[in-house]
Amino acid sequence: MSEKPKIALYWCASCGGCEEAVLDLAEKVLDLVNAVDIVFWPVAVDFKIEDVEKLPDKSITASLINGGIRLTEHEKVVKLLRQKSQYVIAYGACSAWGGIPGLANLYKREELLSRAYFEVPTVVNEEKVLPRTYKDEELGIEVEVPEVLPRLLPLDRVIEVDYYVPGCPPTPDVTWNAIQALLSGNLPPKGSVIGASSKALCDECPLNETKPDKLLIKEFKRITEFTPDPEKCLLAQGLPCLGPVTRGGCGALCIKANMPCTGCFGMLDNVSDYGAKALSFLASILDVEDEKEVERQVKEKIADLVGRLYRYTLPSSKLGGKVFKR
Amino acid sequence: MAEFKPKIVVFACNWCTYAALDLAGTSRMKYPANFRVIKVMCSGRVDPQFVLEAFKQGADGVIVAGCHPGDCHYVNGNMKTLRRMTMLKKMLEEMGIEKERFRLEWISAAEATKWVQVANEMVEQVKALGPLKPRLEVKE
Amino acid sequence: MSEEIRIGVYVCHCGLNIAGVVNVKEVVEYAKTLPNVVVAKDYVFMCSAPGQAMIKEDIKEHKLNRVVVAACSPAMHEPTFRGVLGDAGLNPYLFEMANIREHCSWVHPDDKEAATEKAKELVRMAVAKARLLEPLEKIKSAVRPAVLVIGGGVAGLRATLDLVERGFDVYLVEKRSVLGGNAVKLGELAYTTLTGKDVVNSLVEKIKANPKAHIFLNSEVEKVDGSIGDFRVTVTRRLGEGKEEKIELNVGAIIVAIGYDPYEPAIGEYGYKTTDKVVTLFQLMDILSEEGPTKGELLIGGIRPKSLAFILCVGSLSTTPNAKPYCSRMCCSASLKTILKIKEKYPDIDVYVFYKDMRTYGKEEDLYWKAIENEVKFIRFDEAPSVKPRDKFVEVEAFDTTIQERIAIPVDAVVLANGMVPATDTEKIRIMLKIGCGADGFLKEAHLKLRPVEALTDGIFLAGVATGPKNIIESIASGSAAAAKAATIVTKEEIEVEPLIARVNEDMCSGCGICAALCPYEAITIEVKEDGKRISKVNSMLCKGCGTCAAACPSGAMQQSGFKDNQVMAQVVATFRGE
Repeated sequence: MSEKPKIALYWCASCGGCEEAVLDLAEKVLDLVNAVDIVFWPVAVDFKIEDVEKLPDKSITASLINGGIRLTEHEKVVKLLRQKSQYVIAYGACSAWGGIPGLANLYKREELLSRAYFEVPTVVNEEKVLPRTYKDEELGIEVEVPEVLPRLLPLDRVIEVDYYVPGCPPTPDVTWNAIQALLSGNLPPKGSVIGASSKALCDECPLNETKPDKLLIKEFKRITEFTPDPEKCLLAQGLPCLGPVTRGGCGALCIKANMPCTGCFGMLDNVSDYGAKALSFLASILDVEDEKEVERQVKEKIADLVGRLYRYTLPSSKLGGKVFKR
Repeated sequence: MAEFKPKIVVFACNWCTYAALDLAGTSRMKYPANFRVIKVMCSGRVDPQFVLEAFKQGADGVIVAGCHPGDCHYVNGNMKTLRRMTMLKKMLEEMGIEKERFRLEWISAAEATKWVQVANEMVEQVKALGPLKPRLEVKE
Repeated sequence: MSEEIRIGVYVCHCGLNIAGVVNVKEVVEYAKTLPNVVVAKDYVFMCSAPGQAMIKEDIKEHKLNRVVVAACSPAMHEPTFRGVLGDAGLNPYLFEMANIREHCSWVHPDDKEAATEKAKELVRMAVAKARLLEPLEKIKSAVRPAVLVIGGGVAGLRATLDLVERGFDVYLVEKRSVLGGNAVKLGELAYTTLTGKDVVNSLVEKIKANPKAHIFLNSEVEKVDGSIGDFRVTVTRRLGEGKEEKIELNVGAIIVAIGYDPYEPAIGEYGYKTTDKVVTLFQLMDILSEEGPTKGELLIGGIRPKSLAFILCVGSLSTTPNAKPYCSRMCCSASLKTILKIKEKYPDIDVYVFYKDMRTYGKEEDLYWKAIENEVKFIRFDEAPSVKPRDKFVEVEAFDTTIQERIAIPVDAVVLANGMVPATDTEKIRIMLKIGCGADGFLKEAHLKLRPVEALTDGIFLAGVATGPKNIIESIASGSAAAAKAATIVTKEEIEVEPLIARVNEDMCSGCGICAALCPYEAITIEVKEDGKRISKVNSMLCKGCGTCAAACPSGAMQQSGFKDNQVMAQVVATFRGE
């Protein structure tokens, strides 16, 4: 028993999809459980923080952490896991780059709290109570409530990350590839993405060969406007498919469902800002020469530019989120 | 408080804008010392990632400048620049960066005076906005 | 990178040009603190022989593998210092320049402190880039010793003749059934007794006598592939009865001499086509030609006019909404020359010249004075005159800016001195050859002043009015110039092109095809590998190194040598901090 590598799984600001993704390994989950000792997995196994604290440093082979860092509690736990682990894996888009919850970085913390605790129609909060640490008079104890950080951060802005597993969530194949790489010790240089492809999605996309010689489009289209021809490159049909700028490895799942890629596998090794690069290639193939027309198409056809191009990567972008006036 | 001296990064194409800045020099024109020019062969080489990196590093403003439309040394590289930078302007705006901090300019090799005018205007506008860098660091 | 980076930094005083403003010593001391800088020196003139020798010695002594010179603009001395590196056995592309003269000392003379600070930062940026530079080799390719000339007007003919006389095969492709272009219509030329036709004939005779000349009439260039030194050209020749043949040619250089079309006034523009009493200058020259419809007799609208009004700048100088903004360069002189000839034959004719700006430039000023001596009346306008056809005459009305009065002159006929517009095929040729054109629609020179007969694409040269209005002398001169430039290529067995081009990392390329769609030179194609995977390929002879593909490449697989992402990023970062 004690020979087996120890694994910890933890979630921060995430939807829980990454937890499901591990279970999506289906029968392979049993292989996993046989191969490793799970020492911490709050969503599935009843271990406490104190149990982790008691472990010797570096005694956990790998911690798979999903979700972005949103709360002081996340910060505290991931720092502990870093201390106890040989490898820390940012598992899933949120942990790697902030993910969808990272789009909250377009708002100030005050705006977010106000929206969540005062303005949402289903919330009744007449006394305007916000979560805070308080003293429970009856029990005579201090009830510690974690604080919301000013911005959501990708895991690597808080602790050192050894490897990244992309996806929203990572697919079973990608998860299994990554776990095998970890267990076999056959690992690329630190900081690499594991489990997925080193090329963009187009490389594995069944529609790549249907591209025209000159991939230029006169107008972007929205998926609500028409039913795309499933036999033809979606980008060539005017849908701003993000396949060219997104790491492959998912097997082109969305494309096979006739939906354009939204970029959940993030950027490739030679790209440092996903949204900027996505913008660059999309603007490049938009074959219009009039500034006003570009503006119109961005407004009407892409609509939420930042939300679309940084859907999974805003907190890891060069600006990290919206820049507010002081 | 020390006087705010904005730093502005200029991505200039080799054939037009870089040459216009050379001409400003040979003509002994004067303009503020706030600009740091990075030469590229064509404004079409300017990857929006470069612009964002400049802001991230602390640029108070960025200028991307090339040949006038129809006058590109590389047939139509500047038209790609126009599309990318138009889209980038919109993105920067959504990201809270004031539009005065980012300019796309067409400055031909002969337009040293236009460069000087753009330079003076930009420094003035950016000075009015104040430094950007402290606002990037979101803290308590 | 296993090799240790060893950078030498050389700061030039340029006499007092730099040192009078920038504290050069301070810049040198600062450079010494930068990582990988093993030696930093200043010198009064770095480009001088002793300056160059110092760098060469240091490269050997300090085992330098990167050199940064902080001096003037790279436009000035980058080639010089690259040569220095080459002489010292170092790859010339391991060199970076910081422009601390044009971009610094000369423009900030009043703030020495700020200029010195800026110079330090410019050096820091150059060092940051230099650290990441890679050795590059010029790209070589074999040259075909033959030239294609498109267009058989005077410029194309002159170019053809020059090249065949130098012993090169020339393929002259002319769309029409005859050679000579517009020049044959020009009648007698100034200062000679020769007509345009005589000039053409003398060129054509010599060309036809030369076995190296291959003339294709009724022919058009359909397709051009390849690049400098090795263009593959498909020509279509019309054989009559709807038949045509395809001819494949292989040439090392191309001369484009496609000429112009005379400006065709709109119906009603100065009364054009609303009366037979209004003709264009080109039509008048045809009328005056011995071989013309009237055998040289001056008859307009069936009558021999007693008075004539010439309106200049028709289609030029923005005189009407349809007119082009430029000056067509030949119409003032051609009009006056024609008027003098008419006056010689019909001394009784009154001639009025309505002009916006008299541009009988250079020697042709003489024509203007002769016209005045011959009592030609000149009326200057700012606003285009109006032409009103009446029953028996035509009335030309204009505000005469000299006497500041509106005047109306009845004349028997009006001649519109129409200018030049780009030939109809210009756009087609431009796209086919991937060369640029200006806002005026004419083909664009690589540099208006420094490289006036070269196109933006290597191996393609421009002659005659294809690049903009010229008179016959200038057209012929540019034909010779283009021939001389083309000869510099086809005399070589091998040519070299700059290696600052795009290259793809196949391990990262997904074959998404974004790059191929953008390349203005069609240098990029998508290749399908045996396993069915698509990969981008760059033809290094076609790539001009603009880098637009690299800016767009969503994988970062496409990089431009000398301007790689990491190299430019390093400059950006170094703008703000040292490492």
